[in-house]
Amino acid sequence: MSIIQRAAWVSAVGVSIVVGGGAANAEASEVRLGGAGATFPAPLYTKWVAEYEKVAPGVRIDYRSIGSGGGVKAITDKTVAFGASDAPLTKREIEAMGGPDKIIQIPAVIGGVVPAYNVPGLSQPLNFSGEVLADIFLGKISTWDDPRLQELNSGVSLPKLAITPAFRTDGSGTTHVFSSYLATQSPTFKGEVGAGKQVKWPLGQGGKGNEGVAAVIQQTAGSIGYIEQNYAVANKIAYGAVRNKSGKFVLATPETMSVAGEGAATTLQGTVLRADIWDQPGDSTYPISAFTYIILYKDLVNLKTESEAKALVNFLNWATGDGQKFANQMDYAPLSSGVKKAVDAALSTLTHNGKPVK
Amino acid sequence: MTTDARAIPSAPFSPNASGGRADSLRRSFRFGDAMLGLVCRGSAAVIAIMLGALVLVLLTSAMPAIKEFGFGFLVSSEWRVNELERPLKDAAGNVVVEDGEIVMETIKPAFGALPVIYGTAVSSLIALLIAVPLSFGAALFLVRVAPTLRMAGPLSFLIEFLAAIPSLAYGIWGLFVLAPFLQTHVGPAVKSALENVPGLRWMFYESVTIAGTVVERPIPITGRDMFCGSLVLAIMILPIVTSVSRDVLKAVPRTQIEGTLALGATWWQSCVAMLRYGRSGLFGAVMLGLARAAGETMAITMVIGNNNQINPSPFAPAQTMASLLANEFAEASEGLHQASLLYVALVLLVMSLLFNIIARRLVVGKASPAGH
Amino acid sequence: MASARFETRRLTSDAMFVVCAACTLLIVTLLLLVSGYLVWIGIGSIDLSFFRDVPTGDVATPGGMRHAIEGTVILLALAAAVGVPLGVAAGVYLSEYSHEWFFAGPLRFIADVLTGVPSIVVGILGYELFVVPVSRWTSNSVSFSGYAGAAALAFIMIPIVARTTEEMLRLVPKTYREGSLALGASKAQTVLRVVLPSAFGSISTGIMLALARVAGETAPLLFTALGSRLLTRDPSEPFPSLTLQIYTYATGPYPEQKKLAWAGILVLLALLFAVNLLIRVVAARHAATRLGKV
Repeated sequence: MSIIQRAAWVSAVGVSIVVGGGAANAEASEVRLGGAGATFPAPLYTKWVAEYEKVAPGVRIDYRSIGSGGGVKAITDKTVAFGASDAPLTKREIEAMGGPDKIIQIPAVIGGVVPAYNVPGLSQPLNFSGEVLADIFLGKISTWDDPRLQELNSGVSLPKLAITPAFRTDGSGTTHVFSSYLATQSPTFKGEVGAGKQVKWPLGQGGKGNEGVAAVIQQTAGSIGYIEQNYAVANKIAYGAVRNKSGKFVLATPETMSVAGEGAATTLQGTVLRADIWDQPGDSTYPISAFTYIILYKDLVNLKTESEAKALVNFLNWATGDGQKFANQMDYAPLSSGVKKAVDAALSTLTHNGKPVK
Repeated sequence: MTTDARAIPSAPFSPNASGGRADSLRRSFRFGDAMLGLVCRGSAAVIAIMLGALVLVLLTSAMPAIKEFGFGFLVSSEWRVNELERPLKDAAGNVVVEDGEIVMETIKPAFGALPVIYGTAVSSLIALLIAVPLSFGAALFLVRVAPTLRMAGPLSFLIEFLAAIPSLAYGIWGLFVLAPFLQTHVGPAVKSALENVPGLRWMFYESVTIAGTVVERPIPITGRDMFCGSLVLAIMILPIVTSVSRDVLKAVPRTQIEGTLALGATWWQSCVAMLRYGRSGLFGAVMLGLARAAGETMAITMVIGNNNQINPSPFAPAQTMASLLANEFAEASEGLHQASLLYVALVLLVMSLLFNIIARRLVVGKASPAGH
Repeated sequence: MASARFETRRLTSDAMFVVCAACTLLIVTLLLLVSGYLVWIGIGSIDLSFFRDVPTGDVATPGGMRHAIEGTVILLALAAAVGVPLGVAAGVYLSEYSHEWFFAGPLRFIADVLTGVPSIVVGILGYELFVVPVSRWTSNSVSFSGYAGAAALAFIMIPIVARTTEEMLRLVPKTYREGSLALGASKAQTVLRVVLPSAFGSISTGIMLALARVAGETAPLLFTALGSRLLTRDPSEPFPSLTLQIYTYATGPYPEQKKLAWAGILVLLALLFAVNLLIRVVAARHAATRLGKV
């Protein structure tokens, strides 16, 4: 065979493999939905996807945890069916998506951001206060045996070890929650660093996603970082109790996080639901709790077929209903009934090409 | 125009052919030639278009940031992605209070590439400082000594295999072997040895001003810092600098070496003469190593600490242009953030193109850069 | 005294000889350290499930990397489909049409320069050219795609293949071309039926080298193919690759995933080693037969 014939044969084989592969995928008569966003709830969403496939076979949901910033960008660009973010949409982001009447934003579950650390030789969780955490991340408290930390943890001998804060390098709702909380606790932090999905942390090491920060904490003795509770539990990373508004030191548990979400039901109205539930009152409230949101368009024109729209609505109804029973075992807190009512009301307004989705 | 004897003129010369079969043959020849010419010239044009597209696309996408910041981007240390709301301060530095409420000002997002330019420059230069002497020494050995020991072949194969190891693998080795080693053994040892030496305190402690108060704090030794990044880079550029230097030195005419030996030079003195003879080619080898170090992404992202700030201490985490892009580009929202990242990519591209062009000008003719 | 100066010179020379030998030894030792560690840790982590299973989503038992292996194979096939023809044709131009020095000279230089572009910049170009425009025109999840990733890989491949093809074609003796022309063949026939086939072996090794190089790339895929945890053969979606999956697992906190990452690196290194070795064997046999044929 000549060179040309050989080349043509090879490319024909190659093309048929690829096209055949693509066609094989498309032939399967299943509905595929794409979602992207926060790493904060990713372990639970992965569990939901796996469980939902048992309930509704034929629906395949691909959730990519790329950070809240990425989730907002993806849903704004309409490259996914739904976006996920722990930071509720800002005014500018709402505008970029077409205005508040085009958007539905619902809380999906409650999670907690914990101060996780790697300090050798400790046998029980440490206590932190909001101001101390802020000063650690500002760099004012730079060793573990600092008197202010000793004061909160009398009876524990803290080593003379330098503190390395660990933070997120990507656009992160977890950063938004943690920095917002610290901003309420320390005016210096508010002025120097501020709150947002991506802020300039004065010092420390960066990691990508909750996973990356967890990895940094694991690998660096003396480090402290802010991660969602599930990541600390799953990787056996020690995390501390935080002093809440009533002065009690509280560890993050599904119960202490639920309490934080209870008062939110009354503030949720309309279709762009939002409630900041950090620093809530109550003896047993965990102070760094937060809703994590799912964001989608009210008119699901970004989905091609009506069956896709139906599948999405059914999934979201299931997730905020039956799916909530998985929250506790994954170290998240389920939505309260009041919040659930507001969520249902918002979801019922979904349409596809103008027709309501049942 | 130098006639390249291998080049074939396109139209075969057949002046005496007359009509009939010969003519139709000639027509089909021309068609085949034309097709081949078209395909080959087209593909070659694609290569030129690729370079043009690279520069143009980056330039146009970075234009919003270029217009906003200009060249000041290259010397600014800001990297503020979100708006910052902070208390408004008057000229004396006191917080402005109106009607009992603190007045807040909103600081717009702003970006600057100085920290990453610093990170790239310093990590690459330290890597060169470590790798270049080692490479030159090994190149001399490979050219002068190894052939007599019949070790030149296997050694060269080993070094070229080292060059083929992907960056990701070096990153994993750096993350799981080098960084913990530096954190538990090297870092504390260096710190306890040197921290009280006057003039070296900046390596281990930093003074910062937080909201008006000056705080001196220790720089934590994490193993993932500028030093670790530079070491990994050094190991990565060793093969390319060694093999190009070896080619350059191999091209030094034997007569030169024999001449120095005849004049009574020692082995080392003749080596120095070789180095001096091939100095432009060797400089090209160094530039190639520099280009590779500056553009390196995966390995350095895993071990540099990902902190976008300038800190002179080698134990402080840093960020290079490539690692900044790897960390932030995937979800940078359109607008100034993404344009600024593209501006950084443009700077990186221009830098590496520059190094490559200089290197190739110096090395071509001294050795074959393709290597094999 | 002259003899004292000579002594110092001689001592310096001997010392520097040892230094140069030590440099070589150090470089080789570093190679063995790095690759030895990766092989050792990879062997401890690899088993059949790595090749057989797909990710489960459960971090305690993460499954395998079959999706990533298939993903890399498909990406390489796509990249080669574009990169090999373009690269070889460009190499033919540089070699056979090099009398058109006005274009050929600068093009050779451009190809060389392109091989030095940082791969992350190539990835960004891939994003701007193949991800952004696509997501503007379509309204469903077609933005990050395997096609964009393959395009970025092809961008890296083309200059490498072009230059190595040119070098290999230059090694074909000009007597072959002259003989062919003397027999009345046209240029196209000469190139396609005489020159290229005789250099076929070495061009193939050049292509294999380029593929091996591109198989180990991660940065160009970060913003084009993006990576995926699903087994998918449809390149119009976010697409998995061995390198991306290794990177994600290695920088995460879960020990079981890290084991998969180490096994993946071993597979990658084994592949590269095999290709490099194969190339040397083929080249040696090629040289032997050519010498024998003379």
